[in-house]
Amino acid sequence: MIDVVLVTLRELVRRRFVLAAILATAVLVGLTAWGFDHLVHVHTRRGALSPLEIATTSAVLTLLIAYMFAFVLAVAATFLSAPALANDIESGVLLPVLSRPIARTSVLLGKAIGVALLLGVYAYAAGGVEFVVVHAITGYAPPHPATALAFIWMLSLVMVAFALLLSTRLSAIASSIVSIVFFGIAWIGGIVGSIGQAVHNDTLVNAATVSQLVLPTDAMWQSAAYALEPAAMIAVTHTTAGHNTFNGPFFVAAPPPTAMLLWTIGWIAVALALSSWSFARRDF
Amino acid sequence: MVSNNPAIDVRHLVKRYGEVTALEDLSLCVSRGEIFGFLGPNGAGKTTAVKMLVGLSHCNDGEGNVLGRPLGDRAARRRFGYLPELFRYQEWLSAREVLALHAKLAGLSRAPGAREITRVLDLVGLAARAHHRVGTFSKGMQQRLGLAVALLGEPELVFLDEPTSALDPIGRHEVREILRKLKARGATVFLNSHLLSEVELVCDRVAIVNRGRVVASGPISQIVGAGHAVRVRASADGTPLESLLARFGPVVVEPDGVRVDGVAHEDIPEIVAALVAANARIYAIQPLGVSLEERFIQMTEGGNA
Repeated sequence: MIDVVLVTLRELVRRRFVLAAILATAVLVGLTAWGFDHLVHVHTRRGALSPLEIATTSAVLTLLIAYMFAFVLAVAATFLSAPALANDIESGVLLPVLSRPIARTSVLLGKAIGVALLLGVYAYAAGGVEFVVVHAITGYAPPHPATALAFIWMLSLVMVAFALLLSTRLSAIASSIVSIVFFGIAWIGGIVGSIGQAVHNDTLVNAATVSQLVLPTDAMWQSAAYALEPAAMIAVTHTTAGHNTFNGPFFVAAPPPTAMLLWTIGWIAVALALSSWSFARRDF
Repeated sequence: MVSNNPAIDVRHLVKRYGEVTALEDLSLCVSRGEIFGFLGPNGAGKTTAVKMLVGLSHCNDGEGNVLGRPLGDRAARRRFGYLPELFRYQEWLSAREVLALHAKLAGLSRAPGAREITRVLDLVGLAARAHHRVGTFSKGMQQRLGLAVALLGEPELVFLDEPTSALDPIGRHEVREILRKLKARGATVFLNSHLLSEVELVCDRVAIVNRGRVVASGPISQIVGAGHAVRVRASADGTPLESLLARFGPVVVEPDGVRVDGVAHEDIPEIVAALVAANARIYAIQPLGVSLEERFIQMTEGGNA
């Protein structure tokens, strides 16, 4: 299996996915640095922003950037995982590989681990650089950045497992599209849940819970967001949560329960097991 | 240690894809050390059969062994090599890296693996391009690489699915030489090919498959039959050749002699004796057989390519 992991990583490097990600991230970090630098030096009619105002604004912007980052990582996970298997099936690259004394499960898990490792390294490297830049410019640091990045990575792993499962039977493009559609449904589900809580509607809250169970990406985002929110922001969201105030997907009053994290880990394990079962039974 | 059991022994294999039956009742036995040709028109089920033998597809019914192990057995895969019909290798890797990956997957350790990679690269004529990316290779070079992958680790059995389809005449000649070397070291070759002239040149036995069934199998001489006709170039004073030879079978006059159809091999001395008795001057007596291609077309009802 380690050979498949290594060749998957080598493919991602040689096909310039890594280079493209580094360049795109450099642009993103540069633009946000420019934006935060303007924030620090902005002048209102009352004069320069106070340190508290800068910290509050930085906290909100950091959450927005993290949200975008989570979206990018989810899309990257999908568009790297689906072709990793489906393209090799369609092109015939897998035919001589699978005629070797290697279990199909090892091939599938090797590809999953290769993509997951790259996403993990990218999540911590790019996210870490972004947090360091924000701190260097504004002095603001989110309370639990490493934990937040772990949840964002977990979110991407859900997409890796889901896209791989689909790609054992569908083409790369079909797998990617279906994965992104379900990701969008889970995202909307999270917003619906937030609305449900604001208006005290159990039906909406339950619908959101079901969508989180079907594809637990939004639950992972909520856990990440909670880890990024300063205590003062959590206090504000707590205050408004019971007063018909819609917080949207960016502000979380309470993290999903620990059981949700366990569900997500189990979900990934079951998705990979189903992928392995499906892949082992398909004909070439 | 070379085993005495057949390299391939499958019985009544059935493969269906939904409503379509790709293999209806395939039974085959390939002995150790022979070059076995597997022939059939497009859509006859040749590639499906090969994929089942190497464990890439599952059969709906039937059973069999490859190298003494059940179909799909992982341990058997360590001992055979496979060149698919639709070959494609990781284009972002060099030829040597592709072979290194397969050497690891095949369980070859590092040092012997490196030597083996060098050997097969030399064998298929790719040594000079070993460090070039596969993406820069022509189709013929990719097929040579596929052959190198299949021959890695000196397998006991090699499945070659259309191994010369992308090669020029020189490449085809080289592949024939490689097949002869494989046979010389005792390896078994399962050759799936459309190129009947090549099959005639290298194969010990063949099977012709049509609509998912084996319609004929055995040595080529047995498949094509012998003594089908005799071409006679001779001149006899007074009596025309066609009259002289009419008792042996229908005689067809050709530009440089006559052809007597339906003549058995053992009748040829009788023909010579008849010509001598008539004081004919004999220039040539040529027994004619059916070519493998003619026999193939007969057996597959004109083919459906």
